[in-house]
Amino acid sequence: MAISREAFGEKVLALVGSLHGVACRLTGNDTDAEDLVAESVARAWKALDSLESDAAFRAWIFRILHNTFVSERRRANARPQCDPIGGENLDEAEPVFSIFEQMHQPFLLWFSNPEQEFLDRLLREDLERALATLPEHHRVVVILADLEEFNYREIADTLGVPLGTVRSRLARARGTLQKLLWEQAQARGLSGAAATGAAEGRTAGVPRAKSGKEA
Amino acid sequence: MTKHEIDCEKALQQIFQFIDHELDGGEREAMQRHLHTCKSCFSRAEFERRLKGKVGGLREKEEVPEVRSRISRLLKTF
Repeated sequence: MAISREAFGEKVLALVGSLHGVACRLTGNDTDAEDLVAESVARAWKALDSLESDAAFRAWIFRILHNTFVSERRRANARPQCDPIGGENLDEAEPVFSIFEQMHQPFLLWFSNPEQEFLDRLLREDLERALATLPEHHRVVVILADLEEFNYREIADTLGVPLGTVRSRLARARGTLQKLLWEQAQARGLSGAAATGAAEGRTAGVPRAKSGKEA
Repeated sequence: MTKHEIDCEKALQQIFQFIDHELDGGEREAMQRHLHTCKSCFSRAEFERRLKGKVGGLREKEEVPEVRSRISRLLKTF
């Protein structure tokens, strides 16, 4: 589509914070992120003919950013990466992990809420670490959906995948993120007495309401 | 159950689309009706919504001035 240099510049500068934020989470460091944004903007300018409409600008330039990241990383590693779609299929049979299902105790609702307490105890560092540990094809959908607030269509356009893949990949990614948060909490003993008690109560088939009232 | 009602299994399948505002009008209304009557699914939706909010809170609000300057200089070369 025809777009002036000024209009292109305005659109890019309006998104530069988001582009850099996403680039930081993809590359893991500020220097590489800055280079990635600059390279992506240069590529976008050269590929302006591939922009279909004004409304598509955000997904279009983030797609260029993501593609640039993938191609640069491939070149740096000098070997083919695992196909993320293949990786996705491998864990397709696994149920999606849920902290809620680990902790929720319907009989406790009137005086305790372990899963909400778990969220209350979550620190920014916990979330940062879990997000950084996610496999890249999971990390990117969480970043786009939850940090950048892209809708599913924009994510599909950014990653060049069908809408259904966005849905399933996001569900898997959130499950993986929750599993990482759960494991971190367990390792640091931060899942709390309520969590431990909830798990014990469920395992033993004993409603925890009674022991909770006694405590 | 009418075709406009959903059970817990269906609700859990759609929970992320619900919190992401990706259900269409009829699906969203069916989900909301279910959540009004099912405390467990309601709690699950609240949990997922809160966690999504916490993850979203990681977004850096502050722009890095050096990056903006570099991109501004780059744009002038086009």
